[in-house]
Amino acid sequence: MTQLSITAGAVREWVYQTFPAAREREVGDTDSLLDSGIIDSMGTLEVVDFLETGFGVEVLDDEMVADHFDSIHSISMFVDGKRAQNGSDGS
Amino acid sequence: MQYLVHHMVQESAFRQPDREALVDDEERISYSVAAARACSLGNALSELGVRRGDRVAVQLRPGVQLATSLLAIGFADAAFVPIHHGLFPEQVAHILRDSGASAFVCEQEYLDSIDGHLQDLEELRVAIVAQSGLPGSDAPRPVSGVAVHGLAELMRQGGQGYACSNIGKDLAAILYTSGSTGRPKGVMLSHHNLITGAEIVAEYLSIDQSDRILAALPFSFDAGLNQLTTAVLKGATTVTLNFRFGREVVRKLVDERISGLAGVPSLWNLLSRNSSGLGKQALPALRYITNTGGAMPQNVLAELRQKLPQTEVFLMYGLTEAFRSTYLPPEQLDLRPTSMGKAIPNTEILVVNEAGGLCGPGEVGELVHHGPTVSMGYWRHPELTQRVLRPHPVRHAGGNATGPVCYSGDLVRMDDEGYLYFVGRRDNQIKSSGFRISPTEVEDVICNLPNVSQSAVVGAPDDVLGQHLVAFVIPREGSELEVHEVTGHCAAKLPRHMVPKRVELVSELPATSSGKVDYPALRDRLPTQLLDASRGGL
Repeated sequence: MTQLSITAGAVREWVYQTFPAAREREVGDTDSLLDSGIIDSMGTLEVVDFLETGFGVEVLDDEMVADHFDSIHSISMFVDGKRAQNGSDGS
Repeated sequence: MQYLVHHMVQESAFRQPDREALVDDEERISYSVAAARACSLGNALSELGVRRGDRVAVQLRPGVQLATSLLAIGFADAAFVPIHHGLFPEQVAHILRDSGASAFVCEQEYLDSIDGHLQDLEELRVAIVAQSGLPGSDAPRPVSGVAVHGLAELMRQGGQGYACSNIGKDLAAILYTSGSTGRPKGVMLSHHNLITGAEIVAEYLSIDQSDRILAALPFSFDAGLNQLTTAVLKGATTVTLNFRFGREVVRKLVDERISGLAGVPSLWNLLSRNSSGLGKQALPALRYITNTGGAMPQNVLAELRQKLPQTEVFLMYGLTEAFRSTYLPPEQLDLRPTSMGKAIPNTEILVVNEAGGLCGPGEVGELVHHGPTVSMGYWRHPELTQRVLRPHPVRHAGGNATGPVCYSGDLVRMDDEGYLYFVGRRDNQIKSSGFRISPTEVEDVICNLPNVSQSAVVGAPDDVLGQHLVAFVIPREGSELEVHEVTGHCAAKLPRHMVPKRVELVSELPATSSGKVDYPALRDRLPTQLLDASRGGL
């Protein structure tokens, strides 16, 4: 199992639990969560809190963009990208 | 003389035809264009058979077309019924059915999504759909039993307005809102209610034609509609937006040189976070912000004042049944940051005890509103109207007590200097993210699950939303019910603000002596569980 698929599994589980509409509609990893209205403006805050508490990833102000939050896949990519970056920083 | 809602847009177009009236991401239109489009659509509605007193429902995404459509309907002597763009087909169909709307102005996809309900909507004859702007999507798609027309086309036809028969006391709008029980009800507002509400709020916010108001609140709310009506009354500019991130709101504040912004606590929470970018750039144009729809948390208020040192903060309170009621003048904010203020101009606010007498300072009683924005009551619910709109509780020294007053159902207390403080609700109504929710609306949906025997929904305190929903559910005997079945079912049937955040499976519910669910007892069960909920994030 790749790192991305491990991350995606955890993100998927959390998204399904926090946004029951995602589970109900059987949202796939690349389906848009924003355009479908599953994640609204309050929901984006919950995603940030989850990434910070669940993965220890700090979401910078200018990273609060739709590209990072649009799907289970894009959230997972963002998390792994941030972790890799932090690793190379030695932090 | 302006006594009908559309007179405001005509008057502003006459006084300053070229001033920017309405702005969205697609277009910017002047008052002369807004008035011409509204008049054209109003004429078209009349020609399509809309008659005096008819209801015309409008469900469009926030934008220029939505604002223009709401302003158009008075030209046809009809009343507008704004429907929040986030509602699901079930709720939309309820509003269309209950209001008996004869015409529906909407996005094509909203019309498609209620296709299965159309046969029940006997009074609906005409649908007017907004074109998406995508190539090939211009021709409105037909649906069963309803004549479909294109919105942009009907706004382009021009022509002079027909003579109106309505007077200021006639019905201008119906706003749907929830009570403590049952499905949402329509609150009837007259033209006089809406124009006076606009005049009063524009007065204490000192709105004039130079203002640029960012309408972040939906027009289906009383305070949201007030953003538009105050701007149109004064010839100011209304900028609409769709947003998912706080920074999108902040960008609009900067780019559009916004001078006024109204919000509910959840919006302020979003904006007070560093990620919104608020405070990184000076906003010299932003003259004021207003809060309504629930108390602003003190930490959020402090953060906003620090980020916006030059902006005045108005804390306000209102309920749809009386449109707008109180505000706290900004200079009182340091002295009484938790107060909801005093009566708005030309309005009397009383605190009344159980015996019907006036409360003394510090004594908790029901907020009672007397003034020109008291609504006409609930559409097609005269018995409910009588419970809320009642005679004035005090015989005035000055003589005539005029018209009914509005019993709000909100419990408040007044300090020695007459400033009011919110205490709670008299009933089981829940307020989340500025939306009023009746527990029974959610319980009915939960009880549609075959494995559910009974459920009760209460509001739990929530730092961001004001309250969030907690559902107590008794599974049917012998069945295996999972929590996610309940939340998933709710999420499929209800908009997000009505989906319980927590579900507790229980074997029984506390009951009152008359056998009804004892909601206060259920709420008492919450505090010990809140620790858990707060760990879960928001």
